[in-house]
Amino acid sequence: MLNGTLKLKTALSIVAGAALWAGTALNTSIGTAFAGAPEEPRVMDFAAADKQIGKRGGQINLLMAKPKDIRMMTVYGGARLVAYDQTFQLQADILKKIDIEDNKDFTLHLRKGHLWSDGQPFTSEDFRYWWEDVANNAALMKGGIPRQLLVNGKPPKVEFIDSHTISYAWDEPNPLFLTALAAARPTYIYMPAHYMKQFHEKYADPAKIAALVESERVQAWSNLHQRFGRQYRPENPDLPTLQPWRNTTKMPSERVIFKRNENYHRVDPEGTQLPYLDEVIVNMSSSQIIAAKAGTGETDLQGRYIRFDNYAFLKKGAEEGNYKVLLWPSGRGSEMVLLPNMNTKDEGFRAAMQDRRVRQALSLAIDRTEINETIFFGLARETANSVLPSSPLYKEEYAGAFATRDVDVANKLLDEAGYANRNDEGLRTLPDGRPFQIIVETAGESSQETDILQLVTDHWKAIGVKLFVKPSQRDILRGRVSNGETVMSTWQGLNRGLATPEMNPEELAPVSPVQAQWPSWGLHFDSKGTAGEEPTLEPVKKLAGLYSNWRTAANYDEQTKIWQDMLSIFTEEVFTIGIVSGGLQPVVINNKLRNVPEEGVWAFEPTLYFGAYMPDTFWLDE
Amino acid sequence: MLRYIFYRTMVMIPTLILASIVIFTIIQLPPGDYVETYIGELLASGETVDLARVEYLREEYGLNKPMWQRYLIWITNFAQGDFGYSFEFQRPVSEVVGNRLWLTMLVSFFTIILTWVIAFPIGIYSATHQYSWGDYGLTFLGLLGMATPNFLLALVMMYLAKTYFGVSIGGLMDKEFVDQPMSWPKFWSIMEHLIVPTIVIGTAGTAAMIRRLRANLLDELQKQYVITAKAKGVRPFKALVKYPLRMSLNFFVADIGSLLPAIISGAEIVAIVLSLQTTGPLLIAALQSQDMYLAGSFLMFLATLTVIGVLLSDIALGFLDPRIRLSGGASK
Repeated sequence: MLNGTLKLKTALSIVAGAALWAGTALNTSIGTAFAGAPEEPRVMDFAAADKQIGKRGGQINLLMAKPKDIRMMTVYGGARLVAYDQTFQLQADILKKIDIEDNKDFTLHLRKGHLWSDGQPFTSEDFRYWWEDVANNAALMKGGIPRQLLVNGKPPKVEFIDSHTISYAWDEPNPLFLTALAAARPTYIYMPAHYMKQFHEKYADPAKIAALVESERVQAWSNLHQRFGRQYRPENPDLPTLQPWRNTTKMPSERVIFKRNENYHRVDPEGTQLPYLDEVIVNMSSSQIIAAKAGTGETDLQGRYIRFDNYAFLKKGAEEGNYKVLLWPSGRGSEMVLLPNMNTKDEGFRAAMQDRRVRQALSLAIDRTEINETIFFGLARETANSVLPSSPLYKEEYAGAFATRDVDVANKLLDEAGYANRNDEGLRTLPDGRPFQIIVETAGESSQETDILQLVTDHWKAIGVKLFVKPSQRDILRGRVSNGETVMSTWQGLNRGLATPEMNPEELAPVSPVQAQWPSWGLHFDSKGTAGEEPTLEPVKKLAGLYSNWRTAANYDEQTKIWQDMLSIFTEEVFTIGIVSGGLQPVVINNKLRNVPEEGVWAFEPTLYFGAYMPDTFWLDE
Repeated sequence: MLRYIFYRTMVMIPTLILASIVIFTIIQLPPGDYVETYIGELLASGETVDLARVEYLREEYGLNKPMWQRYLIWITNFAQGDFGYSFEFQRPVSEVVGNRLWLTMLVSFFTIILTWVIAFPIGIYSATHQYSWGDYGLTFLGLLGMATPNFLLALVMMYLAKTYFGVSIGGLMDKEFVDQPMSWPKFWSIMEHLIVPTIVIGTAGTAAMIRRLRANLLDELQKQYVITAKAKGVRPFKALVKYPLRMSLNFFVADIGSLLPAIISGAEIVAIVLSLQTTGPLLIAALQSQDMYLAGSFLMFLATLTVIGVLLSDIALGFLDPRIRLSGGASK
């Protein structure tokens, strides 16, 4: 599907692949209990994705640190109802196609003969079960229907037209629907009904449930249902899946073995069913030694838990360990941002942080070139916290906003803002007489943060502002920020640095109390006005309004317009002070592993780390 | 003696209750709870957080109840053998800990044996050859072992083991053997991987033991009965082993009390560096993420073992040394 179609048409279909599959014989002789790929599989376009035809077989090893990390297999697996392709456009994936009208009416068409990994058919019953018996069951969904499915608080009208067709209709557009389905952590609107019914009070034998509640030591059947039905974190080896590999190991385990899903819906251009790899084995190890293990070739595909600091070490072991190390740019809007807390309890600094000129001056005073040279070997981009050049929304004015050092302008801005007085040390003073000293609190996760802040300390001296670094700890920092106890904190930049207009612009608007630049305003929005404070700054109100508009935008053009307005305000107002973008993530790949792109972007969304590069097409050349 | 044992056993109960209160309070002292940690982790990996749902999570885990209620639920269940539920692993605590117990005991067993094997001869030698070159040299080596940060030693040795002997880094066996039934290759792999942890953890304890044995033995060796024995022509070895060594072993028997919990917990920090599948890293991770039932039950378990261990060593000391028996019973 072309980008153009999306922009021009209001009614359109996203159809998987170039043509419907012609019906060649499939290589699915293994395991007679399984029926193989659907009659209408998704034929992958290898030419477009620059892939070669591979061979089935083999296993690869990954390293992870925590039992929870097996959710990465769902992220890497990449099978979604609709999924992003290499150019970040949405394609039908598990679905055969999806008809969309004005972002209001969505008709989902399933593939004929598509089976769950346990061989049972995947039909609209699985959608009905989720919608009627899970989403609308107060015991199971205590928070109510997921908010991605609500428009102005109203749920869709859902119809189960036949065994392979489902439709969702809202009164107003819901542009979030598709992106929620395609997300790295997708909103599941289906569930393997045939399996889950044994845990549901409506369908199962009460005596059996009571026995399970007892033996699993939970409080009620709903906990049981939840525990056995986690699709994102595939801990339950019995839960059927649609991902390329299914878990076969009962947790807790130090070695979790994922085996090929014999009923996976994707095939290569020659009709061979994917995935190529028979097994993916996740080995648990302490996160501190994952880099060391990777450096001796104990992993075949690794990005998580290794960092740029490890690059030299990894490179050194590459030949002996029989792997190569690639550097993928990160997909974040900025490697590190300074977040002026505009809701801080400190009145003097609250006024300062809310003043646009102060934020602009603080950003202008930073010498990004020096930081780039010293910390990132000159490989990063010296930009504000905004979208990245490969995003269709990129504009130079966003990335360049107040990102080039200009001490004179910065000084002038601060003078104008009313901080012209200086004390004996040459520090500016607040109106209440206190020196302009900002304590920047960090989550204390890497020495890189403190190194950067050390440089910024020097840069800010030139404008009469003193910086103190206070390393803290992740949870404590978050608590302090939302209580308004911090004046400034650090975090990573925009997660959706590769945003397309279809993606949720929530990071740019005050929508959540976890946003450290405006926690109280975010809480106000999130709680629908019952908690927190109402934004007082005009541009912030505008961002909130724009975000609400986006939530009901009917088409691509409207979404683009809103995104651009938001980016423009966000960068012009310098609500977050970005340092540099495009930091590099080392990726370790076994020399024999084929079809892993040389160039990629390391991001949770929209590339799902490896997921968008289709690990189901990776194969071992032996 | 029986009365003494009975009395000591009864005293254990209030001690353990007190310990449980302290443990439970301290675990909850840091701000936030497991759900906070969970949110932080989601944010760090770029996932969005639905705070409405988070509140329900808190409810499900019972974190919204007042602390005394949570304590009572936990401790009554604990007394009945239900150690609670680990948020992180989503499994009962007994299962999570039990999974790693025997490997932990294996590591501890070998390190303790190694410590004794090294420390005993050196301690005796140092005491009998006080201020000799041998005394200084061996003590120096022992102190070096204590002064070298264990994690550093661990990293260096792991690297050497990998480069020169091809032993995979970290863990207690090659990855193929995890969760496999026991077999000769698996056993061999475990033995291979045990060498580094045993040396690293074992050497740390030797210095202290050498010094204590040396000091105790020196005290004894200067007593008049030893001099008399020597003067009467008792063979030097017998004059050393028959009484002085036995007397100097009191500290060693007293140590058994702390040995019992040590066997179960393993060396925590080193185990993290070495990525051992033992209980130590489990405990640290649980404390960090405020996985309170896992951390609490495990610590409580250790507290119980400590109390039992102390009791055992006191009884053993009582048998060994009449002085302790008499004064101990009378003063308490």
